[in-house]
Amino acid sequence: MSNFKPKQVSFDDLNAIEKDNLLTAIRRGASRRDVLKMMGALGVTSAAAATGIFAGAKDAWAQTPKRGGRLVIAHDQHGPNDTLDPQLYTSTIDYTRGRMFYGSLVRLGPDLVPQPELAEAFEVSSDGKVWTFDLKKGVTFHDGSSMGPDDVVWTMSRHLGKESKSKAGSLVDYVTEWKKSGPNQVQAILESPNVDLPTILGTFHFKILKKDTTDFSKTVGTGPYRIKEFKPGVRSIGTPFEDYWGEGGYLDEIEMFGIGDPVARLNAFLNGDIQVMGNVTSKAIPQVESADGREIFSVPSGAYINIAARRDMAPGNNNDLVLALKHLMDRERVVKGVLKGQGGLGNDQPIGPAYADHCSDIPQRALDPEKAKFHLKKSGHTGPIEIVAAEVAPGSVEQALFLQREAKKIGLDVQVKKVTSDGYWGAVWLKAPLCVVSWNMRPTANVMMSLAFKGDAKWNETFYKSDKFDDLLVKSRAVTDPGPRKQMYCDMQEIIHNEYGCILPAHRNYVDGIASNVKGIPKVPLNAFGGAELPVGVWLDS
Amino acid sequence: MWSMILRRIGIGIVTMFAVSVIIFCGTRILPGDAAQIRLGQEATETNLAAFRKELGLDRPAHVQYFSWVKDTLSGDLGVSLASDVPVTDLIRDRYKNTLYVSAVTAVIGVPLSVLLGILAAMFPGGIYDRVVTFISVTLVSAPEFFLATLLVLIFAFYFNFTSAVVVGGVEGKTFLEILRHFFLPIMALCMIIAAQLIRMTRAAVLNVMSSPYVEMAILKGVPRKRIIMRHALFNAIGPIVNVIALNLAYLISGVVIIEVFFAYSGLATLMVQGVQTRDYNLIQVLGMLFCCVYIILMLIADIASIVSNPRLRHPR
Repeated sequence: MSNFKPKQVSFDDLNAIEKDNLLTAIRRGASRRDVLKMMGALGVTSAAAATGIFAGAKDAWAQTPKRGGRLVIAHDQHGPNDTLDPQLYTSTIDYTRGRMFYGSLVRLGPDLVPQPELAEAFEVSSDGKVWTFDLKKGVTFHDGSSMGPDDVVWTMSRHLGKESKSKAGSLVDYVTEWKKSGPNQVQAILESPNVDLPTILGTFHFKILKKDTTDFSKTVGTGPYRIKEFKPGVRSIGTPFEDYWGEGGYLDEIEMFGIGDPVARLNAFLNGDIQVMGNVTSKAIPQVESADGREIFSVPSGAYINIAARRDMAPGNNNDLVLALKHLMDRERVVKGVLKGQGGLGNDQPIGPAYADHCSDIPQRALDPEKAKFHLKKSGHTGPIEIVAAEVAPGSVEQALFLQREAKKIGLDVQVKKVTSDGYWGAVWLKAPLCVVSWNMRPTANVMMSLAFKGDAKWNETFYKSDKFDDLLVKSRAVTDPGPRKQMYCDMQEIIHNEYGCILPAHRNYVDGIASNVKGIPKVPLNAFGGAELPVGVWLDS
Repeated sequence: MWSMILRRIGIGIVTMFAVSVIIFCGTRILPGDAAQIRLGQEATETNLAAFRKELGLDRPAHVQYFSWVKDTLSGDLGVSLASDVPVTDLIRDRYKNTLYVSAVTAVIGVPLSVLLGILAAMFPGGIYDRVVTFISVTLVSAPEFFLATLLVLIFAFYFNFTSAVVVGGVEGKTFLEILRHFFLPIMALCMIIAAQLIRMTRAAVLNVMSSPYVEMAILKGVPRKRIIMRHALFNAIGPIVNVIALNLAYLISGVVIIEVFFAYSGLATLMVQGVQTRDYNLIQVLGMLFCCVYIILMLIADIASIVSNPRLRHPR
């Protein structure tokens, strides 16, 4: 018997270039088999050795979070109305601070599919009207008391009822009651079926509080950090909660505040005073990219800018004219020129690729003067069209100007009336026949469409009503089966794409700046700082 | 003299009451209220009414006014309408920043600029006067944010001496550390007030220099330095002190742009945020605080000019 043993080669034994090649391959999705081939080329013939190398490399790439360090992050708005009461949250700073101190029943990942957090399992009854959440055991609040169903029921009930102060009340207005249904179980009783409820509960306002909390200056949560300091409009500081039930809370301290002025914020970021900066303006992107140790953290989202044409009055009541305008929109130019590539092409319907229910089967509409000419002729429209525009978001005015330019080429006179953004939502929006709009992303396609496209919605900005659409919208709330669900959502998106007065050139990304050693921020598309999910998993590489 | 000072104090108190009425009415004229702003798009008639009742905004205006005056006089400054935090907490978190910055700015900036102004007045038209005039006129005309940007560029990025914005608190820091902490805002504010003070000091001293008794002194052969230090300066104190008082009041209540640019929270920014959120209680308290500071500074300025001027000290 020979005591010859093949030399065990590990990932660490490779030289720098080999390591680099391997990591690049794995990053591109190379499988164990591919790595085996690569190793063969390097002279490593033992399958076991290659497998070991593969595992080592994969670990090195995934980079296990390191503990320790202090992180300073700044977004734009903060002020005396900063609050620790989740139902009153209004800003990214509030949302992110909430993530630091509190937990939710579920957590949303980059795909917006709800994952268990404080609820370890959840299921809906067959009629879609009762949602049951099994709570995780052994979760404690920062004061040492344990979290239970009473806390959850109390927290969730704050969002219900006509006198509720909750900013998110309308997202759950179909819930009639929350009740304790077991020693570690709660149930939500719904008026009408809604399969989106868990996704919605993963958003900012539904953080779990301790029952009967009244003094929100000294509140406790179940989050990975406990409150060390909270001064509204000054700063918040969190330190790790030693009894946190899950993975996360890696830093020694997180400090968070707002710097309203974009130039000052950029200065602070480039100078190293802060390591994470929210809302990098498109002008500042090249500056951040060229700075040493500074990176752009860009997350494609469903947020968008659009021109809303009212379908209940001239000129938008003529669908051919609206189609002509849709074909005149130079989407590429909006995305490349104004958003500096930090966005995606819009397809005249609100449900962009960031939504789980996005329909990719609808062909992308592009600038097409010929088709525009055809529809314009068919519409029989003559005379000028006026679009009211204000700087409500990056690109909101430019989209109208681009449209004006292309329209002129085919002999259509589009006039852009620029007004101030102060008071715009009250004075112009939902009133002018054509005006520019900016929308944030909502957690689900159904929420977004119920808010601004349902025939009787308060914010149905194009004043279009399609019975088929409304019917699908309500029915789809009860459908979980992927096949039929996809069909329904595609049908709805197609109706908006073809019939509504929504001229939508671009979805914009959330663009933040981060220092190169800041890791572990998930790309959740709902807001800045990875959908405000940053605090849980963020860590600092040395 | 004492009766005069007492009268000034009396006028000051009457002014404060007048201002309190103006501030109260002013806040109520603003469109929308705290309840509406806090509820935002979720506002419905029912929850608005409930929220207004909770905040005490449903009471008639005069009832609100008198309960505010009563509470304030008994030392209760009320709770912020925008965040349910006591107003005193909000102010406590910020007043130190404002106090440190304005005090240090005043201690450095005021004597320095008065001195430079007097020196400029000593040799009007000379090269020194021209240089000082050129620099101060430039600084007066430069907008605050431009000056601030320039300072950041030089001290934060070029010399890497300090951070671009003020980060962190002042707790447990020594005087030198605080100086460094607020280096850029103090520097910017020194330049801003110096520009004005130098111009005013120079003008006030030169004004006195053209009066008959100074001509008399020149004719009798008193050296120029002595004329300025013994005769002109004392007579120029009145206007100079008034300008100093105005500048100090500005340092307490008007440095919004500097606070925003260097991202530290002070009282001026708090006032702006109060207006944005329609936080009546906060606006009222800060308004009265600023008014109080202003009246006290003006009182001191008046007393200083009375003391320095025999004609006012012994009125006929």
